[in-house]
Amino acid sequence: MGQLSLVGVKKTYEGKQVLHGLDVEIADKEFVVIVGPSGCGKSTLLRMIAGLEDITAGTIAIDGTVMNDIDPADRGCAMVFQNYALYPHMSVRQNMAYPLKIARMPQAERDRRVNEAAAILGLADYLDRRPAQLSGGQRQRVAMGRAIVREPSVFLFDEPLSNLDAILRVQMRVEIKRLHKRLKATSIFVTHDQVEAMTLADLLIVMNKGVVEQVGTPAAVYRKPASTFVAGFIGAPAMNLLPATVGREGVVTFDIAPHLPLVRAPDLAPGTPVTPGTPVTPGTPLTPGTPVTLGIRPEAITLSSHPERGLPATVDLVEELGGSRVAYCDVNGLELAVVLPAGEEPYEGRQVFLDFGDRGWHLFDRISGKRLDTPTQEVRVQAGLRQMVPA
Amino acid sequence: MTTDVVRAERVLTKPQVHTRPQPAAKPRPRARTRSRLDGAAGHLVMVLLSIVCLFPVYWMVVTSLRPANATFETSIWPTSTSLDNYVYALQAIPILRMLGNTLLIASVVTVIQLFTGLLAAYAFARWRFRGDKLVYSLVALTWLVPFQVVMIPNYLLIAKMGLLDSVTALILPHFASALAILLLAQSMRSFPREVIEAARMDGARSWRILWEVMMPNLRGTIASLAILIFISTWNEYFWPLLLSRTPANSVVQIGIQMFMTTEGTAWGPLMAASTMASLPILFIYVVLQRQVIQSFMKSGIR
Ligand SMILES: Nc1ncnc2c1ncn2[C@@H]1O[C@H](COP(=O)(O)OP(=O)(O)OP(=O)(O)O)[C@@H](O)[C@H]1O
Ligand SMILES: [Mg+2]
Repeated sequence: MGQLSLVGVKKTYEGKQVLHGLDVEIADKEFVVIVGPSGCGKSTLLRMIAGLEDITAGTIAIDGTVMNDIDPADRGCAMVFQNYALYPHMSVRQNMAYPLKIARMPQAERDRRVNEAAAILGLADYLDRRPAQLSGGQRQRVAMGRAIVREPSVFLFDEPLSNLDAILRVQMRVEIKRLHKRLKATSIFVTHDQVEAMTLADLLIVMNKGVVEQVGTPAAVYRKPASTFVAGFIGAPAMNLLPATVGREGVVTFDIAPHLPLVRAPDLAPGTPVTPGTPVTPGTPLTPGTPVTLGIRPEAITLSSHPERGLPATVDLVEELGGSRVAYCDVNGLELAVVLPAGEEPYEGRQVFLDFGDRGWHLFDRISGKRLDTPTQEVRVQAGLRQMVPA
Repeated sequence: MTTDVVRAERVLTKPQVHTRPQPAAKPRPRARTRSRLDGAAGHLVMVLLSIVCLFPVYWMVVTSLRPANATFETSIWPTSTSLDNYVYALQAIPILRMLGNTLLIASVVTVIQLFTGLLAAYAFARWRFRGDKLVYSLVALTWLVPFQVVMIPNYLLIAKMGLLDSVTALILPHFASALAILLLAQSMRSFPREVIEAARMDGARSWRILWEVMMPNLRGTIASLAILIFISTWNEYFWPLLLSRTPANSVVQIGIQMFMTTEGTAWGPLMAASTMASLPILFIYVVLQRQVIQSFMKSGIR
């Protein structure tokens, strides 16, 4: 079992608060990825779960048992560190057997577990080597082996792949996922790499500045980011975020091109005032003049050379990605990324028109950055662009 | 001796294990110095320094080998050699017994100081407790207190314990040393935190972390520190001089001094005794030095 529950978890270092009260429920056998920018408190949270860091306030419970004052070794957690943290003077076999030796496990059982883990991880030929005689990928495998042999109920990974080169990183990522399928133990994986996060997670926890921004499946987080931070952090290239303003009759206009009424938000009926900064539910009217942020993914925009198809822009730069290209367009000084599908001409240096389509819009409160619709119901913003381009 | 200390300290304070390259571990000034010394002029300076350091040792050996009537000869090579001085020195005082005592004392002191040093250093490096910084600075301060200050109180204490003129009394005041504690604490502080945390996750408590995880990776530091302690104990003079009554309970440094009498100094036998006193230490140093460098290169995981 490995069901985890964090309630009001806070962390303060010498008067400086770095975690501001986190509440997270993690089900047994789930693969959870904590993702966020550097310094947002991911490692701190993981180390608190492991017991390596005191809990300033709140509780951390595993399978219903509060772990706040329990020794790291007795929490049923095993941790894989970014720098492998192997014992340099011990062979691979001794490294993997060390936790079992401390637990006074009989030699036969120790050997059985180490050999089994070595077989799973492809380390059978290296058991008598020292860590210094292994490659980075092999060392990381040993670190995982040392975690596996303990048969923990929770695996904790702190950026285990970030010291590996790109190819190895992808291989190990797949291997970790496969291992999880096989062992079915709850895993908490910290990374700042969003590709790792998206591919590995059953459940994604996006953190920023010591708070949880959003919890959800990778698909849900991608499709309906809860805030401008998540919108900008998840997805590459990042979602375009444009300042806009609610106009008359719920029509949202682009600040940089106010003559273009961009979208109409029919759910947000005009008339009744709303305090900026509070989340707005569909049906709640937005006051004309409310500043908002419009989000649109680079994949949702298409380029066209015909003026009737949208917003005029200049293509500054085109990035080649092999399968597709990313065009960075300048619209009145604002940069927008657009993904060009394979086969499309690159348009570099040319005057184009951005077709925003009529789906895939995201509306955020500009002040709080929060999404302006409930998580259950997608906002149906209607692009009135095609019809409303001024003559 | 001073060059030994400098060299040993450089080895001692270097972190033994890196899990992540630490930019702070490569001070730039030293690199600049080294590149400057790379030139021919640098080599010349080093050769001259080596001669200055080695010549007295050479002169000691040469003088000990000259026959009695040629003790004050100034030729670089001895014109004739004899072992008379050695024979005389061996007969005049129980020098082998004294060498044995010195060896025993130096070995025991080395082991004990390393042991107490490791324990204290671990506490300073790993535990936060009330007044920890104060205690640490007090320990550092004892290093600055000259031996002459504690000599008399120590003497009175030993006398009260009835241990005057005994080998035990020569060991007793050396159970702990600030040097060992400070140097070990320093290298333990630079020990990778994650390795210790991995050990904690694996169920190791302080005792195991110290002896099974840290200590094996501090071999380089410990070996060099052992050399330092051993040499300084071997060379100790004042304390034994104060305490010893009979040559059989004394150390070789006192033995050497016995050739300097009010009637004059027997330079030949004195040089022979000195050579005998320095041979073991030279031997140990050469053997251990190789081990220091070896363990220094072996440890470190990348
Ligand atoms: N021992 C400490 N003492 C004081 N502040 C600390 C300590 N450890 C971490 N912090 C602070 O807590 C914050 C969160 O750090 P943490 O290591 O958890 O970030 P992170 O999300 O893991 O970042 P990264 O992706 O760079 O590893 C940072 O602002 C950091 O400066
Ligand atoms: Mg971190």
